Amino acid sequence: MAKITRRTALAAFGSAITTPMLRLPAFAQFGPIRIGYAGALTGPAAFTGVDIRRGGELAIADINSRGGIKGRMLELVARDDEHNPVRTVAQYRELVEREGVVAMLGATNSASMLAVAPIVNDTLKVPVIMPATDATAITENEAAKAGRDNFLFRVGMYGTGQGNFMVDTAVKKLGFTKIGLLNWTGGWGVTGRGELNRRLRELGLTPVADETFDSSDTDMTPQLIKLKNAGAQCILNYALVRENTFVVQTKQKLGDTTPYISGWGIAGPAFWVAAGKAAEGVLTSSTITIDGPQSPERLALLQKYQTTFKAPMEAPYSVFGAYDAIFLFAEVMSRDGIDPAAIRKGLENVPTFKGLVKQYDRPVFTKDRHNALTEDDMIMCRWTEGKLLEITYDAGKPTVATDVRTRRTLDPTDLHLL
Amino acid sequence: MQFFLQVALSGIATGAIYGLIAVGYSLTFMTTKVLNFALGMWVMIGGMLTYSLIARMGLSPILALPVVMVSLFVLGVVAERVSVYPFLRAGSDVWVMSTLAVGLLFIDFAELIWGRSPTPVPSYVGSEPLRIGPIVMLPQQILILGTAILLFLLLEYFYRRTLLGKAFRAVAHSAETASLMGINSRLIQLTSYAVAASLAGLAGFMVVPLTLAEPQLGTVLGLKAFAIAIIAGLGAPGGILLSGLAYGALEGLISGYLNTGLRDILGFSLMILVLFIRPEGLFSKVQAERA
Amino acid sequence: MSRRSLRLLCVMSVAALLLAPQLLGGTYYIFLLIIIFIFSIAAIGLNILGGHGGQFSLGHAALMAMGAYVSTIVSQALFSLPFFAASGLHVWIGLIVGTTVGAATGAALAYPALRVRGPYLAMVTVAFGWVVWKILQEWVSVTGGDLGIASIPKPQIGAWVLDTRHFYYIVLLLFIVSLGLQHWLMSSPIGLRIRAVKHSEIGLASVGVNVYRLKVWMFIISAAFAGCAGALFAIQQNYISPDNFQFFSSVFLLLAILFGGPGTFLGPVVGIAILTLLPEFLHDFDRYRLIVYGGFILVTLYFLPRGVMGPIESRLRPGVAPRSGCVVPVSGRLGIAGLAVKLEQISLNFGGLKALSRVDISLASGEVHAVIGPNGAGKTTLVNVLTGFYQPSEGRVLIDGQPRALTSLHASARLGLARTFQTIKLFGDMSVLDHVVIGLPAGYENPADEADGLIDFVGLSAFRDSPASSLAYGHRRLLEIARALATRPRLLLLDEPAAGLVQEEIAKLIDLIHTLRHSGITILLIEHHMDLVMAVSNRITVLNYGNVIARGTPTDIQGNAQVVEAYLGPSHVHA
Repeated sequence: MAKITRRTALAAFGSAITTPMLRLPAFAQFGPIRIGYAGALTGPAAFTGVDIRRGGELAIADINSRGGIKGRMLELVARDDEHNPVRTVAQYRELVEREGVVAMLGATNSASMLAVAPIVNDTLKVPVIMPATDATAITENEAAKAGRDNFLFRVGMYGTGQGNFMVDTAVKKLGFTKIGLLNWTGGWGVTGRGELNRRLRELGLTPVADETFDSSDTDMTPQLIKLKNAGAQCILNYALVRENTFVVQTKQKLGDTTPYISGWGIAGPAFWVAAGKAAEGVLTSSTITIDGPQSPERLALLQKYQTTFKAPMEAPYSVFGAYDAIFLFAEVMSRDGIDPAAIRKGLENVPTFKGLVKQYDRPVFTKDRHNALTEDDMIMCRWTEGKLLEITYDAGKPTVATDVRTRRTLDPTDLHLL
Repeated sequence: MQFFLQVALSGIATGAIYGLIAVGYSLTFMTTKVLNFALGMWVMIGGMLTYSLIARMGLSPILALPVVMVSLFVLGVVAERVSVYPFLRAGSDVWVMSTLAVGLLFIDFAELIWGRSPTPVPSYVGSEPLRIGPIVMLPQQILILGTAILLFLLLEYFYRRTLLGKAFRAVAHSAETASLMGINSRLIQLTSYAVAASLAGLAGFMVVPLTLAEPQLGTVLGLKAFAIAIIAGLGAPGGILLSGLAYGALEGLISGYLNTGLRDILGFSLMILVLFIRPEGLFSKVQAERA
Repeated sequence: MSRRSLRLLCVMSVAALLLAPQLLGGTYYIFLLIIIFIFSIAAIGLNILGGHGGQFSLGHAALMAMGAYVSTIVSQALFSLPFFAASGLHVWIGLIVGTTVGAATGAALAYPALRVRGPYLAMVTVAFGWVVWKILQEWVSVTGGDLGIASIPKPQIGAWVLDTRHFYYIVLLLFIVSLGLQHWLMSSPIGLRIRAVKHSEIGLASVGVNVYRLKVWMFIISAAFAGCAGALFAIQQNYISPDNFQFFSSVFLLLAILFGGPGTFLGPVVGIAILTLLPEFLHDFDRYRLIVYGGFILVTLYFLPRGVMGPIESRLRPGVAPRSGCVVPVSGRLGIAGLAVKLEQISLNFGGLKALSRVDISLASGEVHAVIGPNGAGKTTLVNVLTGFYQPSEGRVLIDGQPRALTSLHASARLGLARTFQTIKLFGDMSVLDHVVIGLPAGYENPADEADGLIDFVGLSAFRDSPASSLAYGHRRLLEIARALATRPRLLLLDEPAAGLVQEEIAKLIDLIHTLRHSGITILLIEHHMDLVMAVSNRITVLNYGNVIARGTPTDIQGNAQVVEAYLGPSHVHA
């Protein structure tokens, strides 16, 4: 046994050393330009994660069909982080150091991005555009505050803005003063709860009740009853599809019709699939909705998604966001080259951009603002008979368009259709 | 007062599920001194199978239930042969790991077969909430409570009145002696494991309309059910059901009056306390294997 | 493999590890090695508890969590003070505090948890892990909730902030220290006891070891390792959240030990290395992770019960130290004043069953006293009362004239009562020599010599280094006696020593007891075998249904009609 061991050991050792070397940037000019992605491809958050990858792949297919970036093709290298920050961190290292990616699409879990941000800024130094994670501290991170290069960018909803938007809608647009909070203790719910409380404070209000629930809760009866007893006129919430399904089911069981406004975690068809009719009447903030009139570009992408994947979109904002992110990268790479630091710098200098989420007629990002969207870009939607309908205000009254010709007003107390 | 009753009763319905599962622990433990460490995962398989039969294949619940229970029975027989019997004689506690391993396999297989996203299963008795005075309960919750009580009565009758039941109790007391008396101890051990699996399937069948069907369904349920089996005493099925209901009510009250977050912490601390003070359980008359 | 090549291999490995940061480019592989070292530290601790000691814990991830969070909180708090920010001590103090709190949490958990065994212990640790995880999630103000804590202070010495490559050396050092501690502990007398716990707690208690306390200490030690690993993890990752410390992490640790080789030296490291590297090299691994874990567990339990390193380390293990020339024969050493024991009116009820009813027995110092009676008469129960296993419902025990409360097996062993068991309780495959050494009280300069003397005395010198499990039945009995004698008892209780022995072996046993009698030890003999009883006893007490029905010398008893009736039934009585 001793004799074989030495030889095989040397062989193994040798190959272990040389294989990763082939991936180093020095060799990279002979292959495709690699963009990395680590997000939840399995698990309860997979409906978002898979759609990010699909959006990215559709964008890359489009760019490659037009000749790629100066003749070189793009390639998406994806990993399943199972919505788990531990894996995300390891996979980011692996993607950058072993796979040689020059840019990344952001993950599905805010906690993952919070974990990875310092490492990206200090060690890995590749630009990341996030379509899905909204925790403010990701982009407003240590490096940004210290004035160093900030590699994290966002084209999706962002925390501070969303918190403002939800509270402002409830208070200023819908006229509620007694606000109750019902948040998930999971990662995203923690930041969300912080944002909601902050905004209420800024408006000089206190929540009448501040309830939470965790992932193993399937019956929110105690919390909902407490909110009712506290006199909540409107409940604000941050949770994902799974947890919110239980909430709205409990609400339905109790016959509770208190207006319920949630963050964009439930702004995708996956929610209606899981919750069914119990989701009727729930409001959610979002960046886009695919129900209702669409621009021709969006329609084209919806078509392409259907033909390529033969399945309905579960998280449209993810698809569009990822699509825009890839095109942003492509635009900057064509102009400034593929060195990650140059891409990063270039992103801060994109004066206009026709994106699917939004048509930007102002710089997408600036040195101090790494969030592409502002509160003005957000919309409030209502789940109505399986569709996510945008709420518009007609002489101050909230209305939705249930079909092309009909607009229905929402009742001021419990927001049912009049 | 209404609040008190509402949260307590909602909790009791959940507690009935815990009790239903916990009975499975005691069933195998009594006959083999071994228990299915991953019983919660079996509940999950029952639930996922239910989802496939009812939501995907459109089978009616009345037909689906026996299919689920029989499938889990067969699975239980196989698992017992593979992961329990070979380790019974070792004398050590290796079966803890082997039954756990089966549970882990179940979770991953479930994810591969059914995907990881949670999916809804429609209630068997409609989803119109029932109003009992000021209290609101879902019909499914009432069904679960009823099933649990019925099961308890059946088990009591089985153990005390039927010959087979007495054989079970004999094997529980001493497998060797029982086999000397002509009782096929081995068969009883195998059967009790499979029956426990079947009951887990029943529990899964009952619970998925209330929760969603997902591979991670069983982990917490199994743990809480074990806590209840410990608190009541692994050798006392009657007390188990009662403990389950009480535990569920306690959970509801803690959620309602204190904080949902504290609920699990206090529940498990209670279990550790009982283990410390009276390891054989509150309802058991047997002396536990003291360290 | 010879000792030389083994040593060469060790040196080469250490050299390779020291040079690794230079040889491996980038930070990715160094990062992997650091993770392997960190989890190996935790696994080594768990190996001491579970691998060597046989106590399965499924909650060690929670102990790592305690170390990680506490060290982080301390480190962050101190960092705000300029003294610490400048000197870098905040990180190291955090590390020490994290390790300590990990150990303390282990202690707090061990006290209730170790009152129970096997599956109960496993479940309690699972529940503990769950509780800790919940607390981490709920106590948002302290732990950051599900989002965890980011920006954990980086390791620094003075003004120098260590990067990954330099922190590697710190972790490597602690890893080597952990291996060293394991080796030192398991080679010490405590190590022998830890291994014995896995095989027979009762056997260990019978030689005067407070098994409960030993197990608690094992738990605390393993918790300290886990806490340290957790603190290092936090420093390395710069970010921790409850997700890092879930139930499956505990399963991962335990699996690493099972697979690597429970109770081996390098097993935990090999297990951790393989389980850590596997997902890195198989990308789709994540989808099948639990199947792999479950499959690994079953495969290991079926085909590799001793893990990967088990068979390898057995072959590599250096031989047992040979006998020295200084063995002192036993007979000259056993001059002891045997205990005089009196059982007064001892009664013991199990529910409705009266196991013992007002039993009076008197043992004079140095006498051989037999207790006989039909099966179920209460003989073994009597022994159990005398050795503290059961508490009598009535009556008292006087030892050398003083009433004594005999509370537990090990306490009675400390008082000088040693016993053997009807169902032999030996320590698995531990060697004959180890068995006797475990029994020896502390303070011997050369325990092996003392043990050899006893081994010669019972006639087992040919089997000195053999595993006890390979001994014939009769020899196992002799080993139990040797082990009991090692404690220097003043009263030896032999519970049916002749059971299962053949004629020759019984003859040897008779000689043995004669020799012991001359040394002054009091001997209480429970026995069925009449030849043996008659040959060695000074006096005999006869029990039936928990009552004393006769007392006297062997001759008295042989002629006693009541005794004959009790044994053989009424029709057999003839005057």
